[in-house]
This record gives sequence, C-alpha cells and structure tokens, in this order.
Amino acid sequence: MSTPLLELQGLSVHYGSVQALAGIDLVVHPGELVTLLGSNGAGKSTTLRAISALVPAAAGQILWRGGSLAGVPAHRLLKLGIGHCPEGRRVLSRQSVADNLMLGAYLRRDTAAIHADLERCYGLFPRLAERRSQLAGALSGGEQQMLAIARALMGRPELLLLDEPSLGLAPKLVGEVMAALAQLNREGLTILLVEQNAQAALSIAARGVVLEAGRLTLAGPAADLLADPTLQAAYLGG
Amino acid sequence: MIETLLQTLLNGAASGGVYALVALGYTLVFSVLGVINFAQGALFSVGGYLTFLLMGGRIGVNGALPGWGLPGGLPFWLALLLAAAGSGLVGLLVERVAFAPLRRRNAEPLLALITSLGAGVVLVNLLQLLMGAEGYAFPHGSDALGGLPDALVIAGARIRTIQLLLLLISAAAVLALSLWLERSRGGRALRAVAEDATTAQLLGIHSEAMVRLAFFLSGALAGLGGGLIGVSVSLPGPYFGIGYGLKGLAVLVLGGLGSVPGAIAGGLLMGLAEALVPSEASGWRDALAFAILFVVLLLRPRGLLGRRTVEKV
Repeated sequence: MSTPLLELQGLSVHYGSVQALAGIDLVVHPGELVTLLGSNGAGKSTTLRAISALVPAAAGQILWRGGSLAGVPAHRLLKLGIGHCPEGRRVLSRQSVADNLMLGAYLRRDTAAIHADLERCYGLFPRLAERRSQLAGALSGGEQQMLAIARALMGRPELLLLDEPSLGLAPKLVGEVMAALAQLNREGLTILLVEQNAQAALSIAARGVVLEAGRLTLAGPAADLLADPTLQAAYLGG
Repeated sequence: MIETLLQTLLNGAASGGVYALVALGYTLVFSVLGVINFAQGALFSVGGYLTFLLMGGRIGVNGALPGWGLPGGLPFWLALLLAAAGSGLVGLLVERVAFAPLRRRNAEPLLALITSLGAGVVLVNLLQLLMGAEGYAFPHGSDALGGLPDALVIAGARIRTIQLLLLLISAAAVLALSLWLERSRGGRALRAVAEDATTAQLLGIHSEAMVRLAFFLSGALAGLGGGLIGVSVSLPGPYFGIGYGLKGLAVLVLGGLGSVPGAIAGGLLMGLAEALVPSEASGWRDALAFAILFVVLLLRPRGLLGRRTVEKV
C-alpha cells in the first residue's frame, strides 16, 4: 500500500494531570474516509486538536506523508494540506458568509480558482448562496455547520479533519451534511470524521475506529462495525 | 462672526480627528487582545518628538545632546509619515516588553494595564532624558508646510492651513484604516483573529503576527496624532501625549468600546464640544469633555455606537 497520508504513532495528550489520549495509533490513506467514534470525553476532539497542533503531544508522533509534524505551528498546517473544521462550528459571526469563505482561502493567491471554488461551495450548499451577504452569526445552526465545512473546503485541503458536523442538527440536516461529505470524498478528498452519531458516520465511511477513555478499543471496516454487537449496544442504540 | 464660527468648527473637527486617531489605536489593540494599551499616550509624545527631529529640529539645552539635530530637515509630510512609522516600531517594542511575556505565561490580561502603563512612563522619561523637559515649537511659515501658505481664505473666512491639513490627514488615515479593516484580505484576517484566534490559526492566519500588526498600526496612529498636534500647536513637554491618551480613552468609551465608527463619532463630538467652549473659559474644556462622557454613559452605558455585548472591531 502507498505511504499513508496521516499516521499517528502512540499519540498521548495530557491536560494537566488528566490523560486525554493514552497512546493511540491510527493510519489514514489518501482518498479514504475514516471515522473516529466514541462517547463524549473519549478523546476524539483531542485527537484532532493534537494533529492541528492546538494541544501539545505528550508522547508519540504525528506523521504527514511519512514526515514528522513535531514543531510545526497550527497556522502552518493548512499550507501543508491539513484542513480542520473545528467542533461547535466556530464561524466568524461578525463577518459575512462570503467573507468567511474568503478567509477559508486566506493562504491562496489564485484569485480565479478561488472564485470558482466559491461557486462550487454555493453549489454544494445552495442555502449559503442565498445568504452570502448576511452576517454568519445570523445563520441557523445547520447553515453555520455548512458554512464551516465550506470554509474549510475553500483552503483546498488534502485531508479534512471534521469535528462533530452533525452536532445539534435536525436528522434531515444530518443526512444532507453526510451526503455532502460522501460526495466530497468521492471527488477525492481524504476525510477524518469525528462523530458521536456512529450510525450516520458509518453509513458514509470506509473504515471506523472507536475511542474509549483515550484508547482505541475497536477498529475495522464500516460494515463490520455496523454489525458489531458491542458497538450496537453502546453507540447505535441497538 | 462667520469667520470665527468657521474657524472654531474647523478647530473642533481637527482636534476631534486627532482624538479619533488615538481612540482607533486603542480599538485595534483592544480588539485582538481585549486590553487597553496604556502606553498609547506616550507613543503620541514619541510621534511628536520624532516629527520635530525629522523636520530638522534641534535638541535644547536641557537635553542629552544639546544642539544636536538630524542633518537636513525633511518636508512636513515626509517627516510625519516616517514619525508615524517610527512610533509604530516603538509600539511593537511595547508589545514585546509589556504584552508578549504576559501572554506567553497565560497571565491575567488585565495585568497588561499595569505593564503598558509602566512602558509608557519609561518612554516619556526617556524622551525627557533625551530632549529635556522644555517645550519645542516647530518652524512655521510656508517652508514648514512645503510651500503652502500659512493661511487660506475660504468663503471669506481666514483659515489656518495647518488646521485644515490636520483634519484632512486624520480623516484620510481613519478612512484608509476602516476600508482596510473592512475590505482587504489582511483586514479580514485581523478581524478574524479579533473574534477567534484559534479558528483563525486553523485557516492559516498567523495570529501572533496579526497581534503585532495591530500594535504597529496602533502606535503609528498615535504617532501620527502626536506629529500633527506638534506641528499645529507645539510640543509643550514630554508629557503632552498623556493628556491626549486620556482624551482618546474617553473617546473610546464615549463611542462604544471596540467600535470603529464609534471611535470616529466620539472623537468628532469631543473635539467640536471642546471647540465651542469660549476661549475666556478655556480652563473648563476638559471638564466639559468629561461631563459629556458622564452624561452619554448615563443615557447609553455602552457608548454612542456600542453593541449589546462588548464586541470587538
């Protein structure tokens, strides 16, 4: 198999004396959609935050295309190809929808391609097109989530880290967001998707891994996980 | 009568413009860090003295190097521009010594009020050491203004050219800054850092660099104000910027903390109100300024254009 795009080797993270991640290993290959499942506080967001250098790794390594990311500051990662759509949407509420999207393309200088991508985002999420000149803070929760995803896409990442895109959304919207992610993945975007909604995430992912209290407890193809009795009981409401 | 009124309004608008410059400087730093940079008044002084030296002024007898001056005097506009840039650099230095160490240690942001006040006191005392405590007057006449006449006659009224320049330059600076913040890629990035520094980093924005940019611009605005006031009035001593710094702070609160249009409106209101105080009662000017602040805050606790919650830029 080719070199993994992203590889975590024994990654540990501490918050003070609390261990949030206790040595996890994870591989994401180019073009894959991998989902990271687990309950609240299992360390899912922490994993993404560690990859994005928002929290320091206490031990272990993060490799990007086989090279270590140690010492690379957060603001350099998008340039390398890692985009991060953070938990809780985090749109810039005092700027317009269009300005939020333009900020997603902050590092790019290819004006023509930026505008083409802008139209692509509006095509993917037509509701953003209708509200392009409104302040992002005035959007509904679902629209803000779409804006956050679209903004991350504007940076043209190779790997998109997505943190709980279904959080707080109505079931119909969850379906729409998942469909959009599946389409982006088919177009070649590699995605590491953190979700509590295991059912929705596994319906579009190729593989899934399950985190419990900072450790990986289960991993495998999405279809196997969907059929797994322990997972059924814990996360799938079965 | 008309002439006096016109001149009075122009004076008011001109000093209002300078107040707006100072207040905008506070606003920039407040938006990215949520604290007031109390060295702003000292940077105003620095700008005034830098302009004086760059225009060929010489150090007085009580200074560190009596009689010394920079070779050759620069024209007014160039000196002003360079002095603003120089004050911006001193502003960066203030960030480095008074703000950055606290941020690195995740200290309570309010502590920066004290460290920046300290940095301001040090700056003013350095100025005093270098230039002495005496006042300085700029060379006047057409040479100082690059060939422009000392006074213009507009609609039958005689207007001091420098007052008009003061108004035009501060208006241009305020307008350029607002447009930059609102429309440009860098301005959007600065506002993104102001709202959410972590998210800004995920978009590839170097938040620390944006903080430094805010300090540079903030220092440059104060320095520009100091240069303008120095040229139009004089430099009464190293402490002269402190008063303007406090007035700018009042304007900041008057307009609404963190609001750019508020800083502009507050500056103009303050300047015009002061100018309307007759010269026989000039001792009451500051009292009037702060009385306005008091009344406005009673009626609108968030300031003229302040938003419901304390928001930034």
